[in-house]
Amino acid sequence: MIEKWSYSDSVESREIVSLEDKYGHFIDGSFVSPKSKKYFDSISPSTEELLSQVSFGGEADVDNAVSSAREGFKTWQKVKPVERSKYLFKIARLIQERSREFAVLESMDGGKPIKESRDVDLPQVSANFFYFAGWADKLDISWGTDKLKPYGVAGQIIPWNFPLLMLAWKVAPALATGNSVVLKPAETTPLTALLFAEICAEAGLPDGVFNLVTGNGETGAFIVNHEDIDKIAFTGSTGVGKQIQSTLAGTGKGLTLELGGKAANIVYEDASIDQAVEGVVNGIFFNQGHVCCAGSRLLIQESIENEFIEKLERRMQQLRVGNPLDKNTDIGAINSKQQLNKITELVESGINDGGSIYQTECELPGNGFWFKPTLFTNVQPAYRIAREEIFGPVLTTITFRTPEEAVEIANNTEYGLSAGIWSEKGSKVLWTADNLDAGVIWSNTFNKFDPSSPFGGYKESGFGREGGRHGLLSYLKEEK
Amino acid sequence: MSEVRKTYKMFVGNSFVRSESGRTYSLEQKNEVIELPQASKKDVRDAVSSAKKGYSSWSSLTPYNRAQILYRLSEMVEGRKASYVQILKESGISTSTAKKDIDKAIEVLIWYSGITDKWEQLSGNLNPVAGSYFNISHQEPLGVSFIFPRDNLSLNSLLLSILPPLSVGCSVISLSREAGILAIMLAEDVHNSDMPSGALNILTGDYEVILGDVSKHVEIKGIGVNSVFNNDDYTIIQSNGSESVKRVFKFNESMNLLSLTPYLETKTVWHPKGK
Repeated sequence: MIEKWSYSDSVESREIVSLEDKYGHFIDGSFVSPKSKKYFDSISPSTEELLSQVSFGGEADVDNAVSSAREGFKTWQKVKPVERSKYLFKIARLIQERSREFAVLESMDGGKPIKESRDVDLPQVSANFFYFAGWADKLDISWGTDKLKPYGVAGQIIPWNFPLLMLAWKVAPALATGNSVVLKPAETTPLTALLFAEICAEAGLPDGVFNLVTGNGETGAFIVNHEDIDKIAFTGSTGVGKQIQSTLAGTGKGLTLELGGKAANIVYEDASIDQAVEGVVNGIFFNQGHVCCAGSRLLIQESIENEFIEKLERRMQQLRVGNPLDKNTDIGAINSKQQLNKITELVESGINDGGSIYQTECELPGNGFWFKPTLFTNVQPAYRIAREEIFGPVLTTITFRTPEEAVEIANNTEYGLSAGIWSEKGSKVLWTADNLDAGVIWSNTFNKFDPSSPFGGYKESGFGREGGRHGLLSYLKEEK
Repeated sequence: MSEVRKTYKMFVGNSFVRSESGRTYSLEQKNEVIELPQASKKDVRDAVSSAKKGYSSWSSLTPYNRAQILYRLSEMVEGRKASYVQILKESGISTSTAKKDIDKAIEVLIWYSGITDKWEQLSGNLNPVAGSYFNISHQEPLGVSFIFPRDNLSLNSLLLSILPPLSVGCSVISLSREAGILAIMLAEDVHNSDMPSGALNILTGDYEVILGDVSKHVEIKGIGVNSVFNNDDYTIIQSNGSESVKRVFKFNESMNLLSLTPYLETKTVWHPKGK
């Protein structure tokens, strides 16, 4: 009998990261102590150890950051477009140089596997700064008009699932188009943003152009409500997005929203099955399923259901759950206790509703927040697990018979962020893509990102695009 | 003997209809007083179900076909130019201003008929991603759009308000008060054109009556308001619209690519390349 192979640990060293005990906000080109006089802990979700303490941004802190950004905007406007471009290129370079340090810190603070932070997040972060650097001096040809001007001060609120990448998606286009920035990273993942602030100082970015205030939802609300901010860009839940849209009603401020999703990943019977299995696994288990565009609803054609589910379960069992800093880890820690509770509650509702659950057999570490890769079959479209965003490693399966039915089920949600299509038949792929209400469609692939590729939703998944030529419009307004 | 009052009707689902509420308002013309329907909540609901069907047929036509229908409409307006000028004169507009307005309106119709099969080449593009993928961003119309045009006596202004969404394949519901007669006259030409039923719906009356219903209606995907719209009411629309993340924006009456983009959703499609 062949013994089960065991893996030896291959843990990335934490030596490269050196953290301060306490961090201030980054305002007007330097770190400052919070006027709120309050700090909060940033812990590692995989060990629950304290990593550092960061400042709580109160109203006075946000006020301070916005005044700095107002001055920063004036400075930034006087900088020639080609010089703006050079600053962004420089930032991209500096990120590349310290890429390993950023990747390790991202995995420590957020819980994502090092192979993802190292091979996906960080390369994409610097690529975004490189891409938008090149737009800074070409805005007049981007949309065939020289009437597009920056808003002024952009307030940006980002989530905890891709902390530094979401920063890059927001900050790079905002600065390239000539806006200044007040950024608030997520409460649970502020550390890589603080390291990024060091990079801005190192690059010699003029004071006040980039400002960072750490805090929680309360801090975010101070930003949204601040009178002297000209544009809000938010990535997060649909619930909070709606509140922000309502708050900004009638103010004339710019707004872009990148909200939740419940993407259908449609597998037709003529798909390349093994490829589709890989794609479905990547679609939902990438980044622990903490992905707004995750392929969380598997729509499988009835004729191949049994074969597909069998292969899928076998493949899922190969996923390695554990220490995010281990290079062999596929699935890291759930980002927070709160998120773990939400996932657990929704999975219980799926069981109570009557869904059949499959979870992989694996040992979970004692400390930290973990959830086993989970698959639901026998699910009715009305179940909460088929409708609500779980934001965890939980896949829900629904079957269909015809392409029309697949599209109908896929579109039967208030969300419209992304979708996947698996088929070897070109005409069917194109027909399906045309009929899906989603802003990003991956055919025979999933979860691919690129700075040149616009990302954003239809319907209640938000409005505005990030990335690409279309992403510029999120930070420019037409001069009357 | 006093003039018999003519009652105009609104244009919904390719039919001319009274308000379900029976309410009307009147517009004083030079020689007569004209009654027009005051749109109600029920009329809005009817217009939306008409516009939903209209969206499905209008957006599934080829862009080439939409171009031909809009161009034909410009010919029809030109054919009735004298009547349009007459209506404007009876509303108190000078002959020269009225003529200029209709001439401009015809030019606008021609511009927008020609853009139907071109905007997608201007607003979409291939994305040069760093990998072996075909990646394209193209646009789709938002869907049912509600338009609050400026309430001035100008066909040009009305067309600059409703043609941006129409030309990209949205179906449109618009509301006019002072320009109600003019809008219904346009509806008569639309009625005689090949535009599918429900693609364009024209309501008349005070907007305050239906503001809440329009802004809360989840089947209305976009609301465009003119640049001089009352800000308190705009606030109400935006606030109500947030309940369904509705696209709500102010538009300029202009002819360029950026006049179309608010009515578009960008869809990005990836596919691997390989052997």
